[in-house]
Amino acid sequence: MTVVRARAVTKTFGTGRAARTVLRGADLDVAAGELVAVVGRSGSGKSTLLHVLAGLDRADSGTIEIAGGRVDGVRDAKLTALRARAIGFVFQFFHLVPELTGEENVLLPTRVGSPLTARGSANGSLRRAHELIDRLDLRDVARSLPHELSGGEQQRFAIARALVNDPPVVLADEPIGNLDPVSGAVVLSLLRGVADEGRAVAMVTHQPEAAAIADRVVRLEDGRLVG
Amino acid sequence: MRRGRTLLAAAIVFAAALVAGTALTAAVSLSGGFERAADRADLPDLIVRFDATARGDVERRLAALPNVETTRYRTEFNGVWLQGGGGRATNGAVHAVEPGRRGYAIARGRDLRGSGETVVEAGVAREWGLEPGDTLSIAGGRLRIVGVSISPDNVAYPLAKAPRVYVDRRDLGRIGDDVNLALAWLRDPARADVTLAQARAVSFGLDDLRFITRDGVRVLIGQAAGIVIALLVAFSLVAVTTAGIMLGASARSEVARRLPSIGVQRAVGFSRASVVREQAARGALLAAPAAAVGLAAGALAMRGAAERLLAALNEIGPGAGLLWWLAGAWLAIVALVAAASAWPAWSATREPIAALLRGGELAVGKRPRRWLRPRPTSPSPPHNAGNRRLSTVSRIVSALGGGGGGLGALGARLASARRVRWAATVAVLGAASATLVLLLALASLLVSLRDDPGTVGKTYALTANLPPSAVAEVERIPGVAKAAERTAVEASAAFSLGQPLRLVGFARGAEDFEAPPLAEGRRRRAADEAEVGVGLADALGLRPGSRLAVALPGGREGRFRVAGVVRALENDGRIAYVREDRLDALGASGNTVVAVRLERGADRAAVGRGLGALGARPSEAAAATTRNRGFLGVLATVLRIVAVTVALVCLVVLAQALVLTARERRPTLALLRTVGAGRASIARVLAGACAAVLVPAALLGVAVEVLVLGPAVASLAAGYAGLSLAPTAGHLALAAGALAALGAAAVAVVARRVEREAVVAGLREEA
Repeated sequence: MTVVRARAVTKTFGTGRAARTVLRGADLDVAAGELVAVVGRSGSGKSTLLHVLAGLDRADSGTIEIAGGRVDGVRDAKLTALRARAIGFVFQFFHLVPELTGEENVLLPTRVGSPLTARGSANGSLRRAHELIDRLDLRDVARSLPHELSGGEQQRFAIARALVNDPPVVLADEPIGNLDPVSGAVVLSLLRGVADEGRAVAMVTHQPEAAAIADRVVRLEDGRLVG
Repeated sequence: MRRGRTLLAAAIVFAAALVAGTALTAAVSLSGGFERAADRADLPDLIVRFDATARGDVERRLAALPNVETTRYRTEFNGVWLQGGGGRATNGAVHAVEPGRRGYAIARGRDLRGSGETVVEAGVAREWGLEPGDTLSIAGGRLRIVGVSISPDNVAYPLAKAPRVYVDRRDLGRIGDDVNLALAWLRDPARADVTLAQARAVSFGLDDLRFITRDGVRVLIGQAAGIVIALLVAFSLVAVTTAGIMLGASARSEVARRLPSIGVQRAVGFSRASVVREQAARGALLAAPAAAVGLAAGALAMRGAAERLLAALNEIGPGAGLLWWLAGAWLAIVALVAAASAWPAWSATREPIAALLRGGELAVGKRPRRWLRPRPTSPSPPHNAGNRRLSTVSRIVSALGGGGGGLGALGARLASARRVRWAATVAVLGAASATLVLLLALASLLVSLRDDPGTVGKTYALTANLPPSAVAEVERIPGVAKAAERTAVEASAAFSLGQPLRLVGFARGAEDFEAPPLAEGRRRRAADEAEVGVGLADALGLRPGSRLAVALPGGREGRFRVAGVVRALENDGRIAYVREDRLDALGASGNTVVAVRLERGADRAAVGRGLGALGARPSEAAAATTRNRGFLGVLATVLRIVAVTVALVCLVVLAQALVLTARERRPTLALLRTVGAGRASIARVLAGACAAVLVPAALLGVAVEVLVLGPAVASLAAGYAGLSLAPTAGHLALAAGALAALGAAAVAVVARRVEREAVVAGLREEA
């Protein structure tokens, strides 16, 4: 079943003579349980593709559907709700909140939205966070602040954070771009496992070892996805 | 972004300068108003009133005084019918003056020159809409108004009961040679006391003799505004100090933000001195225009109200003189900002350059200090740390309901991560909220001083113009707890005739009808004992055990032993409480009324009707200030302007703190939006950040008001009285509500700004 569907997506930065088009009708499908690696040279628009898929940035044209919900042409409030419900995002630079412990960072997505309409019970979120922390072997450092963690530990917390709301789609932007080879291998193995659980995973990377674990590799060239 | 930060820093300088401009204008305008008016009007050093006497006789007596340089004489007619413009009165005061020094200043038009002319006092002109060239009817005759005067020997009409006009003595040939008012200018005004004693010696035979010196006039004018102006001036001094704290804290936090770039400068070879000079110059350049605009806005906002206040008192504003003060304030603000920018730079450049490059005060990468740090954990922590690891600040915020499932607490952590700025913001908001609470307490005190005689130590609520024999009848009126005869006599100190004082006598056994708090000594017991106000004790150097010698209106002298010194507010504390039978024995004539104390819950109107049935016109017991509604309205305007200024300052400071937090934590806010936080969630984070500064600031503000500002203002304004400027629960609730509303406004504005920004813009910045 296709969970991520993008058709004829275009995106241009700047205007006039300074305009630079990075996506020129990009099409992408990712099915549940599939891990798709998007590769391409630096500045080719890989991260932009993930951003427009997640609704973090607006595409100029084209249609995007994530887990049955439209991303293009909807109000920001709907997009926000869609992100909270259906998308987990993993960043190259982890983006852990420095004042929060690893565990609190994992719990962060459970705390957005109205306290009255928060997804699931607080206990349920906490239980799921603890399961993820145990599964990712982070229990001993769960109460450490980000600056006290290694890069690999930080990225594992970031992955746990992406999964805490049990989203059907995970988008990973250069997830091992800032890690040593050993930590990178652990993170790739985790992402593979995430896909094997039935989630659709789209991963942007320029590293061959990352592309190697993917079910399918697509290349972004001249703003279009090939392969 | 840099432009936005610069604008915010300029905004805080503007806000502080606004407060300083407002306060300075109030302080400079109100504090020297009498002196300016007296100098311009050439107010005499001594004014003597007496029953009509032949001019030659009085002139002969005054000529015998060696210190007297010049004298002029007037005849004052009271109860004269006046009509002109839009007003009329049956109690007009017409002063027939002679050529030479007048003792009043011409504000518009010109002075009297010939017959058929009159000069009207400025209050009369203002109230009745009169201008030079108009006509005024005086006792049926029509005179042309040629000028408008400022007469600083009394407050302006209608604060003064009678409208006053001046006419040329030659116009009133029928009045003969009698005069009842002498003005004397002394060669050495510092020796006025000696001259007064001599004048008293040569004035035997003059009836109803009353002396008043220029200092005495100042005291009397001051009584008209009660304690109000002193409170405003004292408040202004405190407000200027608060503005200084705001400027210092703001400039310091600006430099703290620049520490990494200072580190870069040091790394490439800049000397400490050059870095400090640059920071000082940056601060000064930023402060100069913002301070100028803020001071000008503050001065303009306050000027009108201050001038109306001064006009009501027949006093004169500082005019262009205020510009010098404002220029001085501008220089002081620029220097303060430059110094506050230079000092932290100087201090920071002592640190290793590597520490500066790491970001100086940044909490990221550091363990927070102990009180901000999560609680210690066990070596093998259970999975329940989510709520237990909140810092002290964020736990307070969560407990106050700002938690919002942890987002409020997160906001509190974000705001308190930059500790120096957090402390500076708390200090500034604390000072502003202390000022706000003080303002509310001040307003309530003014109302109490106007309406509640209990504030000045009076336990009776009504007075009735009845003879002492009616006391028993009054006590039979339902609702009356007790009644007693009260006599007030306006007198002066026998050894210091320029010092006016009020003697208040109660019948024996009714001393507790009026009992201001005792500052020193004990209550009076014997007939020859007195309790004196601190104001009088200070003026005459009295202490318990001293002798108070009083020159009474009839010419007799009374002596009392001072038993105690009391914190009385009435008459600026220039008051002495004595036994009424002692006043009788001295033959002192004064204003005698029956003071009426009501039972708890008594119907005041019904008691008033009962007194009316006895033939009396009951009056509310007088408190400390004038009852003139217009005057009180002007005072209310002044307070409102100051309150709005302070609220504006709070809003600017809060918005600045939130905008800076939001800008510096763009990646965190962008991350929250990535994981599904909408505007409401972002608002909860910002509300937590807001509460993290507002809650401690409010607590600090209350503490500062109760422990420092309130006592300081009360003491500066009236050291002679036991004023309380402690806030009530209502004041605190109002201030808290105002701060919460301002905080909500700041949160709403900043949350909207955050939401408008693309999420990816924040994610592109490294967290």
